[in-house]
Amino acid sequence: MPSQTIPEPPAVSGRTITTSSDASPSTTNNRFATVRVNRHKADWRGWKFMWPFAVVFVFVFIIPIVYAIYISFFKKQMIGGTRFVGLENYSRLLVDQQFWSSVGRVALFTVVQVPIMLCLSAVMALAIDSMKLHGTKFFRISTFLPYAVPAVVSTLIWGFMYGAKYGLVRSFNDLFGTSIDVMAPSVLLVSIGNIVTWEFVGYNMLIFYSSLSTIPHSLYEAASIDGASEWQIVRSIKLPELHGSLAITVIFSIIGSFQLFNEPSIMQSMVPGNAITTYYTPNMYAYNLSFSGNQSNYAAALAIVMAVITMAIAYAVQLRSMREQMK
Amino acid sequence: MRTTKKIIAASAAIATLVGLAACGDGGGAAKVDTDTANAKGEIVFWGWGNGIKETIEAFEKANPNIKVKYSSTGTAADTATALQNAVAAGKGAPDVIMLEDATVPQFVVDGSVIDLAQFGADKLEDDFAAGPWAKMLQEGKPYALPIDSSPEVFFYNKATFDKAGVDGESIKTWDDYYEAAKKVRALGGDYYITNSIDYQPFLAQAWQAGAQPFKIDGENITINMNDEGLQKYVAFQQKLIDEDLINPKITNWSDDWYRSLGDGTTATLSIGAWMPTDLETGAAAGKGNWRVAQLPQWEEGEEASSEDGGSALAITAQSKNTAAAYKFAEFLTHGDGAKVMAEHGTFPATKKQLEDPDFLSEKSEYFGGQEVNKVLAAAAERKVSKFQYLPYNSFAQSKYGDDVVPAFQGKMTLKDALTKYAKTLASYGSDQGYTVDNQ
Repeated sequence: MPSQTIPEPPAVSGRTITTSSDASPSTTNNRFATVRVNRHKADWRGWKFMWPFAVVFVFVFIIPIVYAIYISFFKKQMIGGTRFVGLENYSRLLVDQQFWSSVGRVALFTVVQVPIMLCLSAVMALAIDSMKLHGTKFFRISTFLPYAVPAVVSTLIWGFMYGAKYGLVRSFNDLFGTSIDVMAPSVLLVSIGNIVTWEFVGYNMLIFYSSLSTIPHSLYEAASIDGASEWQIVRSIKLPELHGSLAITVIFSIIGSFQLFNEPSIMQSMVPGNAITTYYTPNMYAYNLSFSGNQSNYAAALAIVMAVITMAIAYAVQLRSMREQMK
Repeated sequence: MRTTKKIIAASAAIATLVGLAACGDGGGAAKVDTDTANAKGEIVFWGWGNGIKETIEAFEKANPNIKVKYSSTGTAADTATALQNAVAAGKGAPDVIMLEDATVPQFVVDGSVIDLAQFGADKLEDDFAAGPWAKMLQEGKPYALPIDSSPEVFFYNKATFDKAGVDGESIKTWDDYYEAAKKVRALGGDYYITNSIDYQPFLAQAWQAGAQPFKIDGENITINMNDEGLQKYVAFQQKLIDEDLINPKITNWSDDWYRSLGDGTTATLSIGAWMPTDLETGAAAGKGNWRVAQLPQWEEGEEASSEDGGSALAITAQSKNTAAAYKFAEFLTHGDGAKVMAEHGTFPATKKQLEDPDFLSEKSEYFGGQEVNKVLAAAAERKVSKFQYLPYNSFAQSKYGDDVVPAFQGKMTLKDALTKYAKTLASYGSDQGYTVDNQ
């Protein structure tokens, strides 16, 4: 049940610094629960309000998942048609080197790219929040803007800039006499990481910034009266506050990196040769299995395994951050 | 965790789209109506490319009882995927569908398209050029009518050749080509005679060398990536790779590719006869520099050709109005519609069009005033050896880049790469229920 792993952002950040708005939802919930228990009688009136959502929820979320699980137990062949094969797709997946190489690739990507991106976001959020800079509004908008650009478009733009033959990189090389090629297979993952960072750094910055702006200004005033330096304020007030939203951004970023698809799939036709294979990321592999390999049942099994892996990692991260919050 | 749900839902949605397979098989196969003289009603047509709308207008004018509903399905690959989904769902397929030649066998095998001999299509054989017609035959029966012919021809950039001191007209054999390649490379920089190639040109060039990598007989497939023709092809390509005569950094159809064709750094192309319009629009900067010639031969004096790409019209098994469907398919490919298509840039497949003096004497400014159609038409009339595509062509196409292209970057020999590729194709074939013999 993925819904049980939903982190409650207000509750998490509310634990470090209690503000009135953060605390209120949980109290409301408690009161509601007590009322229900006392009544001792099932009341179906609520469903009258619920059913439009419930129907959509069942059709849009539940049925596709159940259906994907269902078809993952079958196998369709050009000769012989469709037949039930039980767990064969799953056992085949476990020894599929192409699948695991794609999982390894996105895992490596996650381990390197996510920390870099989040550090940048945090630094930017702190810089904007310091209120010592000019033009923060412009800076805030312009760093967030890439998030609003569709990933396909931004990948195309970056792809053209990366071109070592005709792109910006070529002009750079001509100017400085270097021979940099950012699309070479060995550095390609880094180049993709750069695009993803560019796309999402503003988004994460905004999450950090919003949690920083919940800090009451009286705290800063008190700190400066006590003679705290700017650095001490950052370390003792701001960073602890960021800790709560860090869990959210980490989980979102991990999920995002494991879903990597748009960037490599657009760049596939821009990079020379086969640097981006049909199994470069798990999502690309699933896509190619379905649409050029006609193996949608196997792709369904892959989708489910990937969902389980992603959920497990996200859950582990959440547990860890919850434990730290408890300390 | 809304995003997690999103992945599951998205992956499930992908799976669902295609996965409807589980629900229905075949189905809807109506009785085939061959009475084309009394055909009437509405038909649905899926296709892509230029000139279709004009051709439909002409058809509806000539056949007021038949109405054609056209959906542009984008590209060859998208169209094949869409048909695949409709077949899996058991309904929703159009009456007439445009398919890339190489994907036709795939749909013949699973019974999605019908034999056109029952409408008398087999009697049209003599009206079509040999190459495109041969590709439509499955076990001797025509399953589609060719829209265009696409003989492999040789395009070269005369400006680059002049600079390198090569005479394009004197390139008659692949040995001449090799000598020219060295001279072009001597220009330095990014100048290469060609770039690392794609699946389609690979098959076409191997075909011209007489290779028969795939032999399909019902449920039996023989894969042989090491026959005499392929050995010839591989040895030659390996020599070019080893001596740095092929640019490994440019992929066909990429932006870089078009730019390099425009500025002449990629000096030649061995590709289908449909290329001129692509060159004119994609590499406009090369205007006046390009010329076209016959494909170099393995032995001087030979006239071996092969086909690269091309498309055709087929009628689906789900069609409820086959008579009208055939009438339209015949009109577009063989009847008056073929002329309309040719006027909009399709390189024709009928002998009548290919021999039309007005068509042949057209001079192209892009090709420096050369009578391009004359060269292309001559190529279309050359003989082609027997060649078959795999019944899972789209899979083969997608895996070519994974397995074979590394050889062009010197990461392994081309021979090893093709052995690996053959293994991939064989294991997929067995997985799909074929009996595969990988030699």
